[in-house]
This record gives sequence, C-alpha cells and structure tokens, in this order.
Amino acid sequence: LGHARIFTFFSFKHCVLWVIVKLKEKHLVLLRDGRTLIGILRSIDQFANLVLHQTVERIHVGKKFGDIPRGIFLVRGENVVLLGEVDLDKECDQILQRVSIEEILEEQRTEQQAKQESERLKLQAVKERGLSIPKADTLDDF
Amino acid sequence: MFHFQSFEDDCTLEEEGLVEEEDEIDQFNDDTFGAGAIDDDWQEEHARLAELDEQVRDGVHGAGDASSVDLPLAGGNAHSSALPQPSSSSRLYPDTDERGGGDLAESLTRLILGSDPAIAGVGTARSDRSHLPPMLSGQAPQPSALAGQSSLLLSYQQQQQLMRRGPAPLPQINSHSIWENSMGFSPVSSGLVTQKEDKTLMSIIKEVGLPNRPPALSREEGRDLSERVPPPRSSSPVIGSPPVRAVPIGTPPKQPMSQVHNHQNNHPSAIHVRASVPLRYPPPFPERLSPNNLLSIANSPLSHPPFPAGVGPVLSQIQRAQLLNSQIGQFPRGPAPPLLQGGVGGFRPFFGPSGPRMGPHGPPLGHAPIRHNTTHLHPQHRRMLNQRMQNRGLGDHVGGRGVGDRRNRDPYSNLMTQREKEWVARIQMMQLQSTDPYLDDYYYQNYYEKMEKRQERDRDNRKEHTTKLITPQVAKLEHTYRPVQFAGSLGKLTVSSVNNPRKMIDAVVTTSSNDEEKREKQVWNKRRQILYTVEKMYSLLLEVQDFEKKFLQTPEHQRDALLEQHKTHTLQLYNSLREKEWDDRVSDEQCLMIMSVRKGKRLISRLLPFLPQPQAAAVVMGIARNLPALAKKDKQDQVLCWLVEPVTVVVQSMSSTSLTDLLQELQGSEGQLPLVLQNKFGVTLLYLILSEGERMQSSDPNCQLMDDNRWTELVFSVTRELLKVPSSALSSPLFTPPNLVSLFSRYVDRQRLELLQEKLQITALSR
Repeated sequence: LGHARIFTFFSFKHCVLWVIVKLKEKHLVLLRDGRTLIGILRSIDQFANLVLHQTVERIHVGKKFGDIPRGIFLVRGENVVLLGEVDLDKECDQILQRVSIEEILEEQRTEQQAKQESERLKLQAVKERGLSIPKADTLDDF
Repeated sequence: MFHFQSFEDDCTLEEEGLVEEEDEIDQFNDDTFGAGAIDDDWQEEHARLAELDEQVRDGVHGAGDASSVDLPLAGGNAHSSALPQPSSSSRLYPDTDERGGGDLAESLTRLILGSDPAIAGVGTARSDRSHLPPMLSGQAPQPSALAGQSSLLLSYQQQQQLMRRGPAPLPQINSHSIWENSMGFSPVSSGLVTQKEDKTLMSIIKEVGLPNRPPALSREEGRDLSERVPPPRSSSPVIGSPPVRAVPIGTPPKQPMSQVHNHQNNHPSAIHVRASVPLRYPPPFPERLSPNNLLSIANSPLSHPPFPAGVGPVLSQIQRAQLLNSQIGQFPRGPAPPLLQGGVGGFRPFFGPSGPRMGPHGPPLGHAPIRHNTTHLHPQHRRMLNQRMQNRGLGDHVGGRGVGDRRNRDPYSNLMTQREKEWVARIQMMQLQSTDPYLDDYYYQNYYEKMEKRQERDRDNRKEHTTKLITPQVAKLEHTYRPVQFAGSLGKLTVSSVNNPRKMIDAVVTTSSNDEEKREKQVWNKRRQILYTVEKMYSLLLEVQDFEKKFLQTPEHQRDALLEQHKTHTLQLYNSLREKEWDDRVSDEQCLMIMSVRKGKRLISRLLPFLPQPQAAAVVMGIARNLPALAKKDKQDQVLCWLVEPVTVVVQSMSSTSLTDLLQELQGSEGQLPLVLQNKFGVTLLYLILSEGERMQSSDPNCQLMDDNRWTELVFSVTRELLKVPSSALSSPLFTPPNLVSLFSRYVDRQRLELLQEKLQITALSR
C-alpha cells in the first residue's frame, strides 16, 4: 500500500498541477454520494476542496446519460472520491448515448424503483426464512 | 504617481481583517498600510496628486465610483500603503485632461490602472511593463515636484501608446467602479502592470472585490492570465493563521523579465524609479510564514544562481535533511513551519535537467513544478515520470499553440496562481515525508530494492552504476503546539481556527485523599503486587516451558549452556516460592499470596511438572498445608482443580514418608480435615493420597508405609472423619480412585466399610 501511496501522491501532485495547468480542460469529479460532476477545475486546496466552473451533473443510466447544467460548484474535499481529467478526444467517441435531461431523470427514477422493488422482495424473502439483514449504514453508500 | 510595488508580506490586511470598507480603515494602525508604512508624507502626496486628479476628473465623466477606489498612497518606499481611502477617491483619476480628448482612451486606462493600486499591481507582464510602474507608483520618496510627476506621466503616456489596448472596453470603465465586480475593468486590469507578485495589492483586491477577467484581450503570445487579480479570498481572520500570500517574496516572476532578472523581488518599477525601492525581504524570522515564503527563502540562494544543466541535486539527501532541519529550527515552531519542513525538503529544486529552465524566467507551465518533488523517488521512477511528462508536454505544446487563443479568452483560467498550486502540492507532498520509509512505504522500498538487486546481478560484469534509491528520512520532530497567548490577558483565544485550535479542557489529575479510598487503594496495591509477582514468574515459566523446543534447535555445543540456563530458571522459580533461602519449605505466605490469584494457581499448576521431585513435593505440601485458606479464597474462582493433574503426578511419585507427611499436612490441625473435605480439591487430594498409599501397600508388602504407625493412624483419623462428616459437607471428588475400598477394608470393619462405601459412593465395582 505504501508503494501505491507514493505513486498516487506523486501522481496526484503531478495531476493537480497538470489538471490546473491544463486550461480549458474538463475534469470529472466523482462524489461520495455517487454523483458525477464534470466541469473545469478552477481551484483546489489541500483538503481537495474543489471549485468547478461550468459544471454539469451527469447522470448515467445504462448506456444513456444526461447532463444537467449546474453552474459553479464548490465541493468540500471530504466528499470527493476521485478527480480526473476528461480526455476531450475520447469524450467524442464514446459509446454512451446522450439523452435529454427529462429522459435521463425518468430513466433514473425507473432504475431506482426497480432496485427498491428488488430490495424489498429480497428482504421479504429473508424475513420469511427467519433471518434479518442488518441495515446498511446509509451515510456511506458508496 | 502611486506605487504598488512593495505590497509585501508584511501587509497584514487580510489577517487583521481591518480593511473591510474603505471607510473603516484604522488610520492609527500602522500596519494598515503596511508595516512601518510611512516614510513619506502621504498627505503631501495626496495633495499633489489631488490636483492631478481633479484635472483628470474633469476630463472623465463620472469615471468610476469615487468612493470605492483604492489607492496606494504611501511614498516611494517599499511599504506602500495600499488602503483605499474615501477621501482619496478623487485621486482615482489621474490627469488625463492635460492630454486632451484625443488621449482620452489612454488616459482612462492609465487612470484606472495607475490609480488603482490593486489593479496596478496586477496584470500580465509585458516587456514594457517596467516602464509603467514608475509613473504609477508615486514612488519618489521625496516629494517630487509636480513636474517630475508630469514627466513620469508623460512617459507613461508614451507607454500607453505602446500598449495594445482596444478602446472598446474603456467606455465601460467609466460607468463602473473598479471595485465592482464588473466586466468593465477586466481589460484594464489585464494591462499594465507588473505582476502579481504584488502581494499587498492583491490582498486589497481580495478584500474589496475584483473585476472580472477580460473576455477579450489581444495579448501577445498566449500569455496566461495568471496575473489577473484573483477574486477576494477569504482567509481566517484570526491572528495566527498563516497569511494568505499570493506570491511570496523572493519568488521569481512568472514571466521573463530581463530587467529585473537580478532582483528577487520583482518589481520592475524598482528599477526605473528614481528613488529605488530597497529590495524587500521578509524580516528574518517572521512568526508566520506560508510554505511559499519559507520555501522561497530557503530556495532562493539555490534558485537564483543559474545552474548549469546537468548539475545534480545540490545537496545529498542527508545534507538536505540537515539543512532542512536547521532551517526549520531557526524559525519558531508554529503551524507554518511544519508545513514547510516537507515543503522545503521535498522541494529542493531539482537542478538536473531542468536547471536552465528553473531560472527566474519562469518555467514553462507544467514542467517546473513537477521537478521539485522528485527527490523522493527512485531515479528510475523519476526518469519514467519525466518521460511521461515530456510526452505530455510535447503534446501540449503542439496543441497549445492552437488553443492559445482559446486559452487567452478563458477568463477564469488562472484563478489559482502558480504559487498557490505549488503550495497545495507542497502540502500534499509533505505528507509523504516519512520518518520511517520502511514502515510507511514498504512495498515501494522493497520493489526498488529487488529491482536494484536484479540489476546488480545482471550487470555484475559491467561497472555500471546501479541506481540506488535513497529515501530521505525526516527526523521525527516533536511539535508541541502552544496556542497564541497574550501577555496580561485573561484566558485564551476566543476564536480558534484550523491553525490555532483552542484547548477546550484543562484536564488535571487529582487524587482524592479519602480514608476509605486509601484502604481500597491499599488493597488494590497488594493485589497488583501479587499479580506482578505472578507475571514475573510466568515469564520465567514460559522460558522453562520452551526449553525443550529451544534445546532441539540449538546446535550441540550450545546445548550445555542452554541446559544450565534452564536449571537456573527453574531454580529461580522455586525460589520465588520460598521465603527463606535455606529453608526448603515453601513459604506459606508466598504460596498463599500467589495462589490467591487465579493466575497464580494456574502458574503453579504449570510449574509443578517442571520442578524436580523434592521441590515439587514441597510445593504440594505447602498447598496441602494451606488448603483451607486456599479453599476459602478459591470459593469464587473454583479453579483449584486445575492443580489436580500435576499434583497427581507429584503424589504418585512421592515416597512413602513424604506421602505420610503429606497426609499429615493435609489433616493438619484440628478441624482442618472437615474443611478439606468440604472442598472438592481437598477431597480429591485426600483420595489421591490414600489411593497412592494403598497402591504402595498392595504392590509392595514391605513398603515403608507401615514402618511407623503414622500412616495407619492418619488413615484411621481420616476414616473417622469421613464417617463423622455429614454427607452434605462432603463434596464429591473429581474422581474416585478405584482402590479406596481395599484401602478402607484394611482399616475398618465391615459395617463401617459399608457405611463408607455408601457415603462416598464408592462401590466394589469401581475397583
């Protein structure tokens, strides 16, 4: 793990400077609650608090995704899972299909419902067998 | 007119939070305007300049919001006062009227740029930049004649013409206050002056507000807009927070500035102003330094003399660490220095391949910062990363030209100055400093060690130098944080920030001297002592127990020594049970003490097998002797029975005399036997003894057991007791030896035998 740490830290710094130095580069931030933000990283500090400009929240459902424009984001560092550059070239030729916001939200809702339903069934089945599943800590879902 | 160049670190505007509005400037506080602000009579300056201003104002309609202009007033010394003054608003507008309407555009720009120290200090570097500031900065410490000013202005004007500035943005300027966050000022701010090394300037701007970045600027080659004044940054207002510094003193400017190449403190104005501004270095040991500062101070001796390419790192790792530590030692411990330690150590400029680039010319973007922290890495690792960087860099440059325009137009691209980026990166790297690389970075170290070994093996023939990884180790330094305290003040800081946390609770240990508690304490102390003794014995015991294993492992010649050691141990153990050296008896007190603790009982049970026979016997005797007491103490634990097994072994190996003795001991004084019988262990022990005796008798008719009558008598008394004792008071043994019946049959008549049998639930079948 130490090996990895040195590498990640070095590459973090490497990365930090590069990501900031590379102007007009979009960055992708994954947050702890699962949201994906894409924006231009304007500022960063030692706690990994981020200032994102022209941010867009991207929702992925299956092969589709939708962007919700959000403006300027200030993200508290503790909620950041990872941050990386978006390769603009690769972004062009991705297999994901972009859809409208409404559509993607609808898709998301459907997905959520399906998941909840399956969870419920599972819980019921388990209860019938006399077992119980302990409730997961909702704070750290991801 | 106004100078701005010396807004140095000592401007504590932000920290002191004194500058909220222009109206609330603490005029009595020198620091408001920079430490020791005034060499020069600003009022004179003000007067002088006001004249100019009026002229200008006439020529400019409503140009700007008077009240919000921020003007540096102090004279030409390095400590410029950068505070806006309400009354100074009139000075916002330098004279443009003189020049006539034709020059309106230029004068406006100059006006804004010149008068606004905040903006004046900021802006992309230009080759002609150096010429501008002199005018702008009312540098002259001595009150210069107006003529002089005019001449400066004149030349400024000339400069202005050189500047490529579209008139388009200017009209906007008129209607907006520079302190409004409007687009209007962007073009202006982008222009003129030097650079953002002007810290105090920046800090003012940060306080008050910042115009947006210019959307469109025709600039020379894709100069980055990093000199833009960033938006106000909030910093902890608490004293003790490290000052927020945009650019530390002593750092080379970002842009190449040939004229000021020599100066650490790059204010181009300094060169051209008549009254030269003394180079501002931070006071020797400032209380608080940002990583940038200290690092730049530390690095400055290294960074400025241009290093020839190929020079390796200047200092070896150890030297570096020493230097690092010594430097840190100079500065008072505080929140900042710990930051710096890593920063400095980790960021000794890597002068190798990047030497020339590291000069004050400002490295090409992206290259220099990376260089700093390579000291931690294995050389090959470093090489690998450099390659990667270069590949990227190349790719960037190619693409960079194309997007140069685009970059220029991105107004926000340099919200973070290079310094800030480095600062953050340094903090991160600092965390990588480890006091024990093998602990912190085990896999990395091992990986490279293996690689090195492989290399050595492969290149064994050649004398090639195998790259070795040297991981700098930072000495563990103890930092005791002492929060800022003010003499004569009551109590502690009321505001705490991340850098000066407040101690919330003063916890003090107090011992209450209560009688009852004292007694309790005594009891506990005694118990602790016992446990301590037991523990010590245990360690010996463990050694003894491991003896066999060790014995098998040690080579032949060492075995004797080991054996000796073993014997010593066992003796020691036994000795601890004895009270007096010459008495073979086991000390009752000791025995009792040890056995009173559960652990002790366990200890004895484990110890017995290792003791030689006589000693073991003595121990068992001691146990027997003290059985009632032990039994009582054992009521809670009920662990005496652990002893059964080892005791069995001992008893079975006892001689008849000792057996008799044992029985006697067990019986002890009057009334002991019933107590013994009450206890499971006691009963078991008794049976053991009897059974052993019987065995002896039956096996060897001539055994000594019968030599004296003791045995017989003892057995008689035992049987008597057994018959007397009510069944309830007789606890059942762990096991009943089979030959008891035959024993009893020797000594008692049939009737009693039957009674005994019933009572003790021993049947002939158990035989």
